Amino acid sequence: MSSLKRVFGNPLFLTLVHYRVIVILGATVLIATSFVPSLADFRTFSLSMDRAAVLGIVAVGLTVVLLMGKLDLSVGAILALSGIATIGLQSQLGPTGAALVGIVVGVLAGALNGFLIVILQINSLVATLASMIFIRALCHFLTGSNPLSGADPLLGLAVSGAMGGTLSMRTYVFLLAIVLLFIWLTYTVGGRNAYAVGSNEDSATASGIRSNRYIFGAFLFSGFTAGIAGTLQSLATNTGSPVFGDAIALTAIAAVVIGGTRLEGGRGSSLGTLGGVLVLAAITTTLEYESVPSYYQDIVTGSILLLLILLDRIASDRPRSVLTLKTFFPQRTKDESHHSMSRKEEP
Amino acid sequence: MKLTLRFGAAAAAGVLFLTGCGGEDDSTNETESSGDTEICYVAAAESHAYASPANAAFQEAADELDVDLTLLSQEFDAQTGTDQLRTCIGRNPDGIVLWPVDPQAYVPGLVEAEEAGIPVVLINSPMGEEAEGLYASFTGPDTYEQGQLAGEVMDEELNDGNVVIIAGQAGNGTTIGRTDGFNDMLEELGSDIEVLQTVNADFDQQRALELSRDLISQHGEDIDGVYANDDTMARGFIDAWDESGRGTDNMPAIVGINGQQDAFESIKEGNYTATILQSPEEDGRLALETIVDAANGEDVESRIPISMTVVTEENVAEEEPAL
Repeated sequence: MSSLKRVFGNPLFLTLVHYRVIVILGATVLIATSFVPSLADFRTFSLSMDRAAVLGIVAVGLTVVLLMGKLDLSVGAILALSGIATIGLQSQLGPTGAALVGIVVGVLAGALNGFLIVILQINSLVATLASMIFIRALCHFLTGSNPLSGADPLLGLAVSGAMGGTLSMRTYVFLLAIVLLFIWLTYTVGGRNAYAVGSNEDSATASGIRSNRYIFGAFLFSGFTAGIAGTLQSLATNTGSPVFGDAIALTAIAAVVIGGTRLEGGRGSSLGTLGGVLVLAAITTTLEYESVPSYYQDIVTGSILLLLILLDRIASDRPRSVLTLKTFFPQRTKDESHHSMSRKEEP
Repeated sequence: MKLTLRFGAAAAAGVLFLTGCGGEDDSTNETESSGDTEICYVAAAESHAYASPANAAFQEAADELDVDLTLLSQEFDAQTGTDQLRTCIGRNPDGIVLWPVDPQAYVPGLVEAEEAGIPVVLINSPMGEEAEGLYASFTGPDTYEQGQLAGEVMDEELNDGNVVIIAGQAGNGTTIGRTDGFNDMLEELGSDIEVLQTVNADFDQQRALELSRDLISQHGEDIDGVYANDDTMARGFIDAWDESGRGTDNMPAIVGINGQQDAFESIKEGNYTATILQSPEEDGRLALETIVDAANGEDVESRIPISMTVVTEENVAEEEPAL
């Protein structure tokens, strides 16, 4: 056991484990570019970022939900419904109005989830499974199971085309969402409370945090981001399809978990999710460029997911403080914000 | 220390695994990249009774013509497919072949391809009116006509009665063509056949089996005929019928599409009314040859159909199954 302790106690090893997302991302990108040199082209980078954007926006919402120790399986169905609203209402409301309605639809669906989970106290997995099935059926009902198409296909290029030779509009939306979530989680009282609620709902409530509001808010936010993702996706493809987003919920959860957010709640970060999404995007782009069958991609994704969860175990068995940069630079880094949950104070 | 070693070994194995995967891809890439023409192909799926042989024929024709091929598979998900189409455009190939699984979603991508000056050929499934003029050619079967042929056969077989339709993915162009063609033909013929129910089994045998169980327990002996959008799903119904213990003698009239081996055998045994034969090999090969022509700047027909044959008890001995 002493040798085990020596390995796990080694500051270098622990640091690597702590920054495992960055390590994996670095390794993925390194391996990827060594096999497909053109991946380093900015155009390729821009395109794969654009591909990852919709998944990423959904993952931002899910990060908050998972942080609360809850799950939201309905994001794919919400994405489809928002997309259908965005395209289907274009003739009545114009593209901008319809897009706004699409986002509102997402928020309303999130409110439905919040109602089921907070007011009716249904387990989040079951509640969002039910709303997923219900909303998906609604999508098929509204469209007669046929995809709707919008008036102007060129509108999609504004969303998915590179802006001024840089990244696409939806990529910027994704990156902005990551930054805003980072600021909220790291620098605000609300963000710290969110960690507290996720870590232990009852003790958070006991220390004066309105846990239910945070949980309701998380599902509202998840619906909101799924709505944005659906709106952008449907504009980009000029299609509102009842089958869009079929597999996105699980992929997005995978991205969030790869990013270090724990399903048990209480731990996770916005930048981790960014890393998780980028890892998946790098894998997909590389393997597709090499014509590798998609099930190989799933093998790689599954392996990485497993590896990271095992590393997470190691990390969570250790006191958190050992893992930070503090080990090396005791004076320069301040403690991680979510560390403060044990000494929570009412705002 | 043992554990340290073990950890090291595990890490090394992990690295080997990752590089091993990459290395393998790299070598295939090298053998492929000998050609002058680069084609990017967004296929419907990798493992599927019809798509697999079509892809294989596509690959084979590409090898023969010394074409450098990148094959992506969207697994019947249009959202993945639209992204893959744009990945293709990003690679700047000489031509793109797209298997649309949605009639519209690819339109913005097609516009981008046109702007980039990359010709696109659609394989197998049609797209909607919005896409017209954005691709060089559409090769493959006319799914609407297949549906019509199926409707005709069903009408001849039953005259009147109740049928159920086991359709493919909701919203898929092939599903829409084959189902609408069937329904429109029944109407056109003034047929007394009534469609009891239409279900979407996603071109999947297992899904068709499950849905057929429901159909059989709901409608039972009222089902006089079954029209499946492909033979794979028809097989699902037949299995469900056998399972229910109703026996092959009372089997409803079954009409499928694709001309699969097992459908041929069932037709010979008299338990299967008809299948519409189309060759996936011809489908795949034709698309590749067409895109190579288009990539070389030749004019290609905007619509190149593949031949179709209605296979029934009468001509089953003379025809070869497609897959």
